[in-house]
Amino acid sequence: MNAPFFPTFSLTTYLAVAVLLGFFFGFFLERAGFSSAHKLVAEFYFKDFAVLKVMFSAIVVAMLGIAYFSLVGWLDMSQVFVPPTYVWPQLVGGLLLGAGFIVGGY
Amino acid sequence: MSPAPLTVEQAEAMSQRHIKKHHVAIMLLHWFNASVWLFELATGAALIASPYFRVMPYWYIDMMESLFGSRANMLQFHIAVGITWVIVFLVYGIFGFRTYLAKQIFEKEIALDRDDVNWLIIRALRILKKSDEPLPPQDSYNAGQKLFALLVYAMIPIIMITGLIMAFHLVSTAVVGWAVVLHFAAVGLVVSGLIIHVYMGAVFPEEKAAFFSMLTGMVSELYAYRHHFKWWKEVKMQEEAWIHQLQGGSGSTGVAPPISGPGPVAPPAVPEKTEEKHGSPGTFKRIFRAPEYWPPYVAGAGLGLTLLATFVLMGQGLGASGGFTRYLVAVIAWVAPNYAAHSAYWSNYVQPGQSPLIAFLVFELIGVVIGGFVSGWLAGRIRLAVDKGPRISRRTRYALALGGGIVTGYGARLARGCTSGLALSGGAVLSVGAWIFMLSVFAAAFGGAWFMRRYWL
Repeated sequence: MNAPFFPTFSLTTYLAVAVLLGFFFGFFLERAGFSSAHKLVAEFYFKDFAVLKVMFSAIVVAMLGIAYFSLVGWLDMSQVFVPPTYVWPQLVGGLLLGAGFIVGGY
Repeated sequence: MSPAPLTVEQAEAMSQRHIKKHHVAIMLLHWFNASVWLFELATGAALIASPYFRVMPYWYIDMMESLFGSRANMLQFHIAVGITWVIVFLVYGIFGFRTYLAKQIFEKEIALDRDDVNWLIIRALRILKKSDEPLPPQDSYNAGQKLFALLVYAMIPIIMITGLIMAFHLVSTAVVGWAVVLHFAAVGLVVSGLIIHVYMGAVFPEEKAAFFSMLTGMVSELYAYRHHFKWWKEVKMQEEAWIHQLQGGSGSTGVAPPISGPGPVAPPAVPEKTEEKHGSPGTFKRIFRAPEYWPPYVAGAGLGLTLLATFVLMGQGLGASGGFTRYLVAVIAWVAPNYAAHSAYWSNYVQPGQSPLIAFLVFELIGVVIGGFVSGWLAGRIRLAVDKGPRISRRTRYALALGGGIVTGYGARLARGCTSGLALSGGAVLSVGAWIFMLSVFAAAFGGAWFMRRYWL
């Protein structure tokens, strides 16, 4: 296996895979209850910790998988996009998004 | 039995009452289907351009090609929209087999009975002014609509299969050649019916109510009584049976003539159809159709596996705001191409000869909508509602949502990602910036919660 596979995809396959992955993304988000602003916001009033639980279990599962695949040499990490760090924009952007989140609900 | 003539008061009362005609899922499918047909006809008409045969003038073909940058892009778009269409229909067909395919289509939409045949004959005679017989009563779809549905349901599989054969060059060159002809012929047949369908829905005054019922799901009782009497009767019978049940035996029976003025109890529009499910609840039903959300760790694990698959297949994570940005760029580049190409920010997304819409996130978002819809649909959570705190009005909620959305959007683009694209995906590959971002999101939201408590609690 030499993941990531996207360089071998034709454009149509690439876009079809995108829709499919999006399908599961949307499906699990809805299953978790993230389509409800109320449920999302309840997190910040210490009433419902679903946001934290879902988000961190997702991160841990994906992180362990990625670490395992790259350790055994299946996943070429040099071809994987890692978001670059810009400390101030990301700090301020995060604060803005958090503030907008609690006002707007999503 | 045909509808009895109404008095003015009866008609007035009936026009005030509304009954539910379409389920939200049907309305969404209808408008999804309508937009697919719009896009596919617009691009398809421009794709048929050979020296021997074309359907549109050259200026139209040129315009469409320059809109997409190139012919190849336009073809890719046509194929991508078509495949999305196939997938959505498969999802509806598979998940909604019993309610949608069996009940909706075979029983309500295409089954022609004797009344329907007579309706067609009398309708034709009336148009030719050879008869003034009253039209036989109709079910929830009239015979004309049923004929159109028959045509469409016969042609859709042909269009889908020939489309896939062309898109992926399946079987052999000869088969692809025939697929082209069949694809065009089948679309041509549907379009001939579509012209009448659109005319009836959008222009024909008597059918105005049918058009609005596709937006609101409701029709007035008067319209139902006059145009779909058999269906009206069925709804009324259910209502009566329901009232009967509630009052434990008393209450009026019989259907026509209609009750004028307020009835014994003001019943809700239509009693919710409680469908008898056969057999004991299976595992599938327990897992997918239960109204509760999944336990957070289960949903989180599913989300994590999806994220892992995305990294393995695509070399990047899932996202949201980047996709919306691309939709916006496409509009900007279309309205003001010069500005988009030279703006410091938008020009990042604009490459000559390539649409900003041909990107992972753009198509992923289409999947998100479908996936979220299917999940909510299976669990019976689909409804139109304003999700707000108990102490505020709808208007306040709208204003807060707009304001919060603007701040959220700005923050997301400033940080180069949102909670999905940066915090979740970046977090999983241990990007330092992603963790800074995530912590500041939670800090600001927990901090702001105190100030916003009046609006949410």
